[in-house]
Amino acid sequence: MKGKKWLLSIVVVVCCIALLGLSPAMGAKSKFDPSKMGDMSDLDLSNPVIPTGDTIKIAIVASFSGPAAAVGDIYFASVQSVAHDYNKRGGILVDGKKKLVQVIKANHESKVPIAKKVSERMVLQEKVDVLWGTNGSHLMKVINQVADKYKTIAVSAAAVSDELYDAQNFSRYSFMTSISTSQVGRGMAYYYGQVRKKETKFYILCQDYLFGHSIAGGFKAGLKEYYPDAELVGEDYHKLFLTDFAPYLTKVKAAGAEVVYTGDWIPDAANLLVQARQMGLDLPFANLFINNPPFLQQVGIEGTDGLVHIGQIGSDGKAFKTEGQIKYYKAWNDQYPKWKKPFDTTTYEHGTGTIGAYRMQTYWLLDVIERAGSTDPEKIIKVWENDTWEDVNGTVYKMRGIDHKTERDLFIELYVPPEQQKESMNIEPYYWFKDCSNTGPSYKLPADKVTPVMDPKLKDIRKGS
Amino acid sequence: MDPVTAMYVAQGMHGLAYGMILFLLASGLTLIFGMMGILNLAHATFFMLSAYLCYQVIAWTGSFWLALLIAPIVTGIIGVLLERFLLRKVHAFGHIGELILTVGVSLVILESVKVFWGTESLPVQIPNVLQGLVTAGGLDYPIYRLFIIGLSLVILIVLMLILYKTRLGMVVRAAVSDADMVDALGINVPLVFMLVFGVGTWMAGVAGVAIAPILTVFPGLADQVGMDAFIVVVVGGFGSLGGALLVAIICGLLNSYGVQFVSQLAPVLMYIFMAIVLVFKPMGLFGERE
Repeated sequence: MKGKKWLLSIVVVVCCIALLGLSPAMGAKSKFDPSKMGDMSDLDLSNPVIPTGDTIKIAIVASFSGPAAAVGDIYFASVQSVAHDYNKRGGILVDGKKKLVQVIKANHESKVPIAKKVSERMVLQEKVDVLWGTNGSHLMKVINQVADKYKTIAVSAAAVSDELYDAQNFSRYSFMTSISTSQVGRGMAYYYGQVRKKETKFYILCQDYLFGHSIAGGFKAGLKEYYPDAELVGEDYHKLFLTDFAPYLTKVKAAGAEVVYTGDWIPDAANLLVQARQMGLDLPFANLFINNPPFLQQVGIEGTDGLVHIGQIGSDGKAFKTEGQIKYYKAWNDQYPKWKKPFDTTTYEHGTGTIGAYRMQTYWLLDVIERAGSTDPEKIIKVWENDTWEDVNGTVYKMRGIDHKTERDLFIELYVPPEQQKESMNIEPYYWFKDCSNTGPSYKLPADKVTPVMDPKLKDIRKGS
Repeated sequence: MDPVTAMYVAQGMHGLAYGMILFLLASGLTLIFGMMGILNLAHATFFMLSAYLCYQVIAWTGSFWLALLIAPIVTGIIGVLLERFLLRKVHAFGHIGELILTVGVSLVILESVKVFWGTESLPVQIPNVLQGLVTAGGLDYPIYRLFIIGLSLVILIVLMLILYKTRLGMVVRAAVSDADMVDALGINVPLVFMLVFGVGTWMAGVAGVAIAPILTVFPGLADQVGMDAFIVVVVGGFGSLGGALLVAIICGLLNSYGVQFVSQLAPVLMYIFMAIVLVFKPMGLFGERE
């Protein structure tokens, strides 16, 4: 008997250790399953099949004209590809009926009044179920206000300012599936302070609006936390869609910076990098959005070597570790050659990186709707709050119930010349891009080191509700 | 030169380079308005179109120099066609018709560009001979930006010579002053108008090619620089080339030194300058009250 108890104790201890050692992925409530993907062989983004009628409607509220028009196309490609997948599976069973997913473009022209107007039109006239946005936290704020007013689900897949989900701006109808500025800032600081431990002089150069200041604030807070020895040698905020970066870059040079930290997105990100290299400024840019292939190709292999990108999707080391990952990758990449303008550029070649992140966030959204079995916002909220979901790479996303921000691992990607890219791109042709540097070595930043900040006042507010 | 002085000199050079780009763009706009009384709201779109044409010529031929030659000429020809077949027809209906027409043309060009080239940034490489930096007295400065300053100066000098040293220039200046009188003298004023419109759009085209390697080419190019060029024309005085040159350089310098000394205020300095000038000189620095 004694022997049996002893054996039982060992079994219990071993089980406990095994349970503790399980990856968080195994604990996720749901996951992306590549084996369930529909037939994607007819995915043609330039001639998308968009169902109409009684559908699940997702409005992409974004720039489809003006300086940031390309951003809207990227969002559309990402969301439409996911909608196509679900539609090829036969749709989603909601409220007792299988419905296809319809993606609608809603152009906010990068203007606040138009963002409000077009969001309201989407809700009231088009009767959309989800407002999906957007490039610009100031614009996402408006979308969230509309979502709150009309009790419609909003997804912040691309706007990353923490302030959007503080006590003042929080809406229980809006969910932040993207990373947040505090995560980006803390993640970069963690990498430089705790992993790399080399450069000490940093210069912050960001866009002068809510997002730019927020992402800079995240980095400053991160440096205090993870890299107190670092020195901030300069800090500047430039207007959105700036023409001439040379005056700022001259200041960066004079300040003796070793790394430029920037949250700039295109077209500013492109112009910043292009002009820096033209001016002989070869510093690494620690960035979130300097990853758009066409302008990386313009700068070339040498000029893009050493860029440090932080991503919300990725993997520690090799990009392809499972058959499922390869299947998912090829579902997009095999179709790419047949696409026409504007989807024929190298931006759309791989469907990974930023596009990959938007795709995964949209899969999560539709998975939540599927599990809710309804497009009723209250039912979606019930499922999504505190939900955990595993993406194609095994990363677990947790939707924090209190403030609707997502906790997840982040990834640092070091850009290296094509011959070294096989460290990440481990299937043929063993490089991401042959005419510019791109992801080579990559590092996982554990979710608990890069948790998004939470406004403590929210606890009281949400208790009340 | 010590590093601090070198930094200030570099900022001055940046201001000059950006100012000259603004001048190239604004001079065409002011020339067209001064002579024809047309506020061409499609002007910045021609600038963008030329940048796209530059990209395309380089894609076909691999030569930036051919692009610098061809793209502005094609842009100028499109400008001539616009004047001859559209603007001239609505001229009789006054300025509102012209404004609406040029806005419409601008939108058509913008959408056409997206159809032909897409919405993404397209790369234009600096030609090999203009790549790299010049080092002098402790100052490293990009050769390409010096080229922009030089190119703009050459165009300015040629334009000035034509305007002030040739019969054609005399006719143009006379038409600016009193088109009806010039017409009465038997000069084909519509032809002169068409020529001026073509030259104006050609200059926008040159600016478009010059800036393409710095800014990358994308549909928002017109929005990015168009407003600055408009400020230059307003503050310099509609129709004044000298005013456009002076104000473009001031705006360029305000931009670069603004970033250096009052970074947070840099984006609004140009607008403050415009407001101050217009308070005291409502027609701009060199504009004349009709």
